[in-house]
Amino acid sequence: MSHDYKSVQWTPFKKRFDLWMLAGIALYLVLFIVIGQMYQPPGESIHPVQAMIRATGTLAFLLLTFILCIGPLARMTNRFKPFLYNRRHLGVTTFFIALIHAALVIMWYHGFSETNPLVSIFISNPRYESLSGFPFEVLGFVALIVMFLMAATSHDFWNANLGPGLWKALHMGVYFAYALLVIHIALGAIQFNKSPIYVALLAASTITVVGLHVLTGIAAMRPSDRTAREGWLKVAAIDEMEDARAKIVRPLKGEAIAVFRDGDKISAVSNVCRHQGGPLGEGKIVDGCITCPWHGFQYRMEDGQSPPPFTEKIATYATQIVKGVVYVNPEPNAPGTPQTPSQIGATA
Amino acid sequence: MKRAHRRIHFAIWAVLGPVIFWVLVLAVLNRPDAPVNETLPSLLIEEAS
Repeated sequence: MSHDYKSVQWTPFKKRFDLWMLAGIALYLVLFIVIGQMYQPPGESIHPVQAMIRATGTLAFLLLTFILCIGPLARMTNRFKPFLYNRRHLGVTTFFIALIHAALVIMWYHGFSETNPLVSIFISNPRYESLSGFPFEVLGFVALIVMFLMAATSHDFWNANLGPGLWKALHMGVYFAYALLVIHIALGAIQFNKSPIYVALLAASTITVVGLHVLTGIAAMRPSDRTAREGWLKVAAIDEMEDARAKIVRPLKGEAIAVFRDGDKISAVSNVCRHQGGPLGEGKIVDGCITCPWHGFQYRMEDGQSPPPFTEKIATYATQIVKGVVYVNPEPNAPGTPQTPSQIGATA
Repeated sequence: MKRAHRRIHFAIWAVLGPVIFWVLVLAVLNRPDAPVNETLPSLLIEEAS
């Protein structure tokens, strides 16, 4: 909640997460280089710079694969929600690892030419018509530019100035960056290296990322329940509603609705966070407030307003409980409108 | 996520997915027979020097 400007809104959890992340990155780089040297074919040697190029390249791609899987996986299981909350730090870190990879490549393969190294990337290999000889470095360079734009605008300052819609559209560029990187590796490392490991890793990454996004995309677009009771949509039986969590209802028209249970109270709000459009129904109730899983924006259950001094408001919806089943009225109230929660145990 | 964003999101993957797979399959099938070694052959180094 960007009421005041802060470079990073640190929490103890975020600090621990970042420390584990950095330790994991250091361990990967060391293991990749050491194991790579151990299994180098006899008579062939690889310069430490080349080893580092491969280590940072594979690491950046694996991290990007993981980042792209976090969203769909968090919809399937709550175990991935902590990663969702820290995805921004992972993304910026991935950009810096990719930047190191690119800098080493430019220094090692283009730095000794009389041509400007950045120009050399585009003209040193002119076989743009070839598949196996395609200048694959160009694809990686374009992907790096896209990743730079996203890392540079990842702060809430840019979200507030560009607006959530434009910001989100810009950050969907990560999908194109991923596609460019898959092709970058397919036309690069896979052409030079006959090891089946690279092909297997690339295929596994692509199948996982594309498969997860398509499957969860289909599920998210399907209206969740058409059972209606005089215009009210069925949510779930009370027993099926986990405390401090929500069920998401997708009406045929309009935005999805997040129906929360907080103890013996049931309330419904818009599923769309005012910050970046995050799925509020995948969040939980923290300190009595609905908390977005993406960046922790909070809203009160009873009126959809952020607690003072924040001013964000979301739509509320009427709920009712009939014979142990929760229903929601799909007609939204104006954002910030007080709506009395339904009480479990009260007579309907 | 807004409904409109969700549709765009799905449309992007519905297009990107097949394109990525197609290029990946073509790239694997068109790999050159002889592996390209990143290190210079010793004979070439001797000639150059």
